Amino acid sequence: MSLPNPNAQYGKRSREASVELDPYLPKKAKLELVNTQEGYNENNQDKNDSIYIKENYTSLQLKPDHRSRPLWVCDDGRIILEAFSPIAEQAQDFLVAISEPVTRPANIHEYKLTPYSLYAAVSVGLETEDIIDVLNRLSKIPVSDTIKNFIRDCTLSYGKVKLVLKHNRYFVESTHPDILQKLLKDPVILNAKVISVANKADLMTEKAPNSKDIQIAGLNKKPENKEQEQDKTNEKKKEEDDQFGAVISLEKEDEDEELIRDEVVHSFEINSECVEEVKKRCCEIDYPMLEEYDFKNDTLNTNLEIDLKPTTMIRPYQEKCLSKMFGNGRARSGIIVLPCGAGKTLVGITAACTIKKSTLVLCTSAVSVEQWAREFKQWSNIKDSQIAKFTSETKEKFMGDAGIVISTYTMVTHTGKRAYDTNKMMEFLRSKEWGFLLLDEVHVVPANVFRKVLTTVAAHTKMGLTATLVREDDKIDDLNFLIGPKLYEANWMDLAQKGHIANVQCAEVWCNVTPEFYREYLKRSSRIRRLLYAMNPIKFQVCQYLIKYHESRGDKIIVFSDNVFALKQYAIKLNKPYIYGPTSQTERLRILQQFQNNPNLNTLFLSKVGDTSLDLPEATCLIQISSHYGSRRQEAQRLGRILRAKRRNDEGFNAFFYSLVSKDTEEMLYSTKRQQFLIDQGYSFKVITHLEGIENMKDLVFGSHDEQIELLNSTLNATKEDEEEEGLAQSDDVAVNNRGRGISRYGFTTRRETTLKSHSGGDDMAYIEYNKSAAAAAIQKKRNPLFKKYRK
Amino acid sequence: MLYSANSTINNTASESIQGDVSVFLEKLSDREFQRLYTQPATCLAIFRLLPDLAKQFIMRLLYIKKDVPLEHIKGWCYEQYTDKVDDSLQRLYKLHICTKNENDEIRMSKVFQENLNNALIGSGNHTSFGSTSTSIDKHKVDIDFLDKHGTEQWEAVLHYMVGANIRKKPSPAVLKLLERSGLMAKKDDDVKDEFSVFTKVDINELQITNKGFQFLLQDVNTQVWAFLIQYLNMVDDLKMDLVEVLNFLFQLGSLQLGADYSVESLTPTQQQMLNDLKHLGIIYQRKRGSKRFYPTRLATSLTSGSMLISKPSTEDSGFIILETNSRIYAYTDSPLQISVLNLFVVLKARFANMVVGMITRDSIRSALNHGITADQIITYLRTHAHPEMKKNMPILPLTVVDQIRLWEMERNRLKDEKGYLYHEFARAEDFQEVLNYAKQYNVVKWSNVKKRMLVVTMEGHIKVRAYIKKRIGSKQSSQHRQQQQQQMLQQRH
Repeated sequence: MSLPNPNAQYGKRSREASVELDPYLPKKAKLELVNTQEGYNENNQDKNDSIYIKENYTSLQLKPDHRSRPLWVCDDGRIILEAFSPIAEQAQDFLVAISEPVTRPANIHEYKLTPYSLYAAVSVGLETEDIIDVLNRLSKIPVSDTIKNFIRDCTLSYGKVKLVLKHNRYFVESTHPDILQKLLKDPVILNAKVISVANKADLMTEKAPNSKDIQIAGLNKKPENKEQEQDKTNEKKKEEDDQFGAVISLEKEDEDEELIRDEVVHSFEINSECVEEVKKRCCEIDYPMLEEYDFKNDTLNTNLEIDLKPTTMIRPYQEKCLSKMFGNGRARSGIIVLPCGAGKTLVGITAACTIKKSTLVLCTSAVSVEQWAREFKQWSNIKDSQIAKFTSETKEKFMGDAGIVISTYTMVTHTGKRAYDTNKMMEFLRSKEWGFLLLDEVHVVPANVFRKVLTTVAAHTKMGLTATLVREDDKIDDLNFLIGPKLYEANWMDLAQKGHIANVQCAEVWCNVTPEFYREYLKRSSRIRRLLYAMNPIKFQVCQYLIKYHESRGDKIIVFSDNVFALKQYAIKLNKPYIYGPTSQTERLRILQQFQNNPNLNTLFLSKVGDTSLDLPEATCLIQISSHYGSRRQEAQRLGRILRAKRRNDEGFNAFFYSLVSKDTEEMLYSTKRQQFLIDQGYSFKVITHLEGIENMKDLVFGSHDEQIELLNSTLNATKEDEEEEGLAQSDDVAVNNRGRGISRYGFTTRRETTLKSHSGGDDMAYIEYNKSAAAAAIQKKRNPLFKKYRK
Repeated sequence: MLYSANSTINNTASESIQGDVSVFLEKLSDREFQRLYTQPATCLAIFRLLPDLAKQFIMRLLYIKKDVPLEHIKGWCYEQYTDKVDDSLQRLYKLHICTKNENDEIRMSKVFQENLNNALIGSGNHTSFGSTSTSIDKHKVDIDFLDKHGTEQWEAVLHYMVGANIRKKPSPAVLKLLERSGLMAKKDDDVKDEFSVFTKVDINELQITNKGFQFLLQDVNTQVWAFLIQYLNMVDDLKMDLVEVLNFLFQLGSLQLGADYSVESLTPTQQQMLNDLKHLGIIYQRKRGSKRFYPTRLATSLTSGSMLISKPSTEDSGFIILETNSRIYAYTDSPLQISVLNLFVVLKARFANMVVGMITRDSIRSALNHGITADQIITYLRTHAHPEMKKNMPILPLTVVDQIRLWEMERNRLKDEKGYLYHEFARAEDFQEVLNYAKQYNVVKWSNVKKRMLVVTMEGHIKVRAYIKKRIGSKQSSQHRQQQQQQMLQQRH
């Protein structure tokens, strides 16, 4: 069997690039697998083959028993998995651990190996050769050397060194003493070492920690049963194993892990003052440290009395998240990705209950602060005095030495002038040593804000929660190193099938544009165009029709509009309540409460403020009339509003998600882009070109030509004032306050709301797709020009 | 439900592929039919092509030697199925198996009656079902070999069509067939591509046509028949006897796979055919002039309905997985199938046993530009769907199917209507008056005051013309010309 040419290379490491790098990022983080298929095609392509396919792997011969193996591995790191294979489930577990899921529809899934995903893999204890070995066993075709080298390069030095906080002292720990010796040759690290023994290079050895020592809160109710179950599953697994014989035994990994656990670990202590320096240095020499927190042995920080209420049950996938986090008896830092409505909050709370130390929760808005506080009280037995909120309105401290503080990113990272009590509070936050830092909706927060948070707050464990780890820019990649690797990502379709989140019917409704509107549309600038396609009278009618249809079915409907002018026009015309930026807090709560409890109020209009963190389990139908360009995240977040529908477990229940687009406008293009994330998760958008019975509907708005013209005129006239409103409504991610925009003018209250509105995150400041080339150029500048050609 | 399907799209395929032999047969004369029916094998084959009810009638009439009143036949069925009875009888009339006399009595063709009987009971003295070779073949071949040979030969032709295999050029007869059937055409001299100067393109080189692309998406049975029907159409040019050719085709359909047959009992015309069919892989002959031939599966399944492609192989049992994200995974290593997919899929990667591709707007549009219809693509995907896909109902993800249809609809947004254009009005007043007049009757399609141009509907034209004539008569001032023009009116959906 001939394996691909030795020249095949995946990108290059930026080590050779003489550019300044983020000190917190290890160098290989930017490593990239670039397909070098030229070699293949020259050598292997049938000259008479008229079809040219870019990637030709036909030279990689199938293994004789390929039918029982479920996947193919491409040279660019893509992995294609047959989801209908009998061992697909095990393979999926493995792939989720080592790679990023790209798309997961019904039959064939695609994953991709990235440096981040491999970093995550090693951080949970997988070994380089095991990864290669299992991958090879699962693959129908031999794994090429390119991939093998890539995996080796990404994993050999990663995850080998851990920074452990134990007995309130910092230890650098590794199972490989040679690596530690190597580290100790570095002067910076050597200086940081606490010299306890005569011999400088001496290492301490002890037994590695074991997961059996720990019990995750909420899982300790029936430990014996659990054990039995585990035995059962093990047996079952063994049977399966026999069935597939030599092909795969994924369980081998588990055994390996066991082995590692019984191994001894070597460590040396470093001065706590030098921790940052050592961390930085380790990244520089390409041994990024994983941070683990041995909270059981932390006696310096007082324990917090907190536990889950006995009635609280956690779901299997939540358990999986937590077991990844506390896998070896210590707390790992990392990111957990769960769909909206799948109970991210509970995962966070359970983790806090397990660590039982002072906890700082950061979320995106004052509303979510309230929600977090409520959830904490609902699920755990935390005392009211132990939980404090820190927002522009309330500045509380908890009683005693340990407790929980819930705040927003904005409060913590704000750089400008602060009120006296805010400053006091910040000092309090800074002075404390936090056992657990919980970061909600991490996707909205760009890396620089995190860096700020991390320098402000000293925390031992960090956990990031999000539903949509996508941004239109690439600012999230660094999160893997700032917070920690992605520990778990759930499969949306899977959860929907098991009833944890609602089944959703997605539809894109094409609305014709009246000739008058279209004529104006063609003439006008892009800003007015956006207004015109939102205000299209046909769309108005469709919206009215859908609202009426779903109200008659007994649905509760949320209508989303990014455009504030359109929002108001629609809501007023259709006589429904609406909430947008300037709506006051009390007014909001009143409307939301009415929406939840009043059977006569079934429809609610929301601007961007409702995109995230708004918990409305009553809502079962969602209509989107205007949205933010091509933001995939906004689409997914909005869908998230109906995923937690209360009625989701009723038989045959479906939630509905409509996206109304004006035909032949830019909106169609954006719409396609927006849906991509959800389509990758396995959702499908049905296109509706005509709604049955709409022409027979009574009291259709803008039915007459004159009314439509009037609407057109008011739309065109309203543009100016609307723009101002929109300007107010538009803001960047949480990062906005760093730019100081609008702070002095609107004061604190307005600023907070500004942030609130930005949760979609996709506004023009961050949405970068338009000038992709510029962005790409900026990135390229950072790299050695030599490697340009390897990039797309 | 709220959703309204987009399935009602009128499908105007430019020129559909004719793969039904009975349609061809209906064009024959009575004399030709009666000659055809002298062969028991032909009678049996045609009998097989008939709908069930017609078969039933024939079986009942087969041993009745006299005319049967029409009412009797109708009395055999429930009244509510009279339509079907009529349809079946129509078929029988068209194939000249039965005739109706003036007394509304049905009579079966004597020749057909006798020879079908012969076919059924094996009586009579004929070689209609082929005569097996008496001697033993030293180079005997087995069924596997024949299957392989047939598929290879047939696919070589298809390969040539998609240009996937230029090494092996089909025989001149096949090339001529390809060209005559309109599946391929000579390169248009006017639109020589710019590189032709450098690459020395043979002017006689054939190129696949839009019809050819459609052809590729059909199943093998339809393809074979389409070819053979074209062959039948060319029979006169080749100075062959149509009846003999047909008889031989039907005979082939009744032969047994794996057996060898003697060439000697064939007429000279039929021996000539043997040569042509050899190139298509329908029969196997070890070498030219050999005294025996083997029919392949392509031949023996000619008249056994559409399920004849069923060869116990994985490829044919369905190999395509289409996902909701528009990605296509096709388990195939056949360059032909990959070429066919390449017509409407962007292929991304190819493995030893699978290709990965994606359906995009551009890829579908390029297929549509080749004259392939959305329905053909969807049918192709559906018939070749992987067993995993077939577990679902509907087999293909609805959204993708809808999307393909929508992409097709996109192209049909211009609607043309005939109208009359009036222009070159000398004076603005004249124009205004005519325009006002036309507006009165609501016949204005389009007007431009500045350019003094006006388009009225066909119906409006008579009135407007009369009006203008009247005005000219009274004022003799305005000069106008009319022009009939096809006015493309953009119809926005």
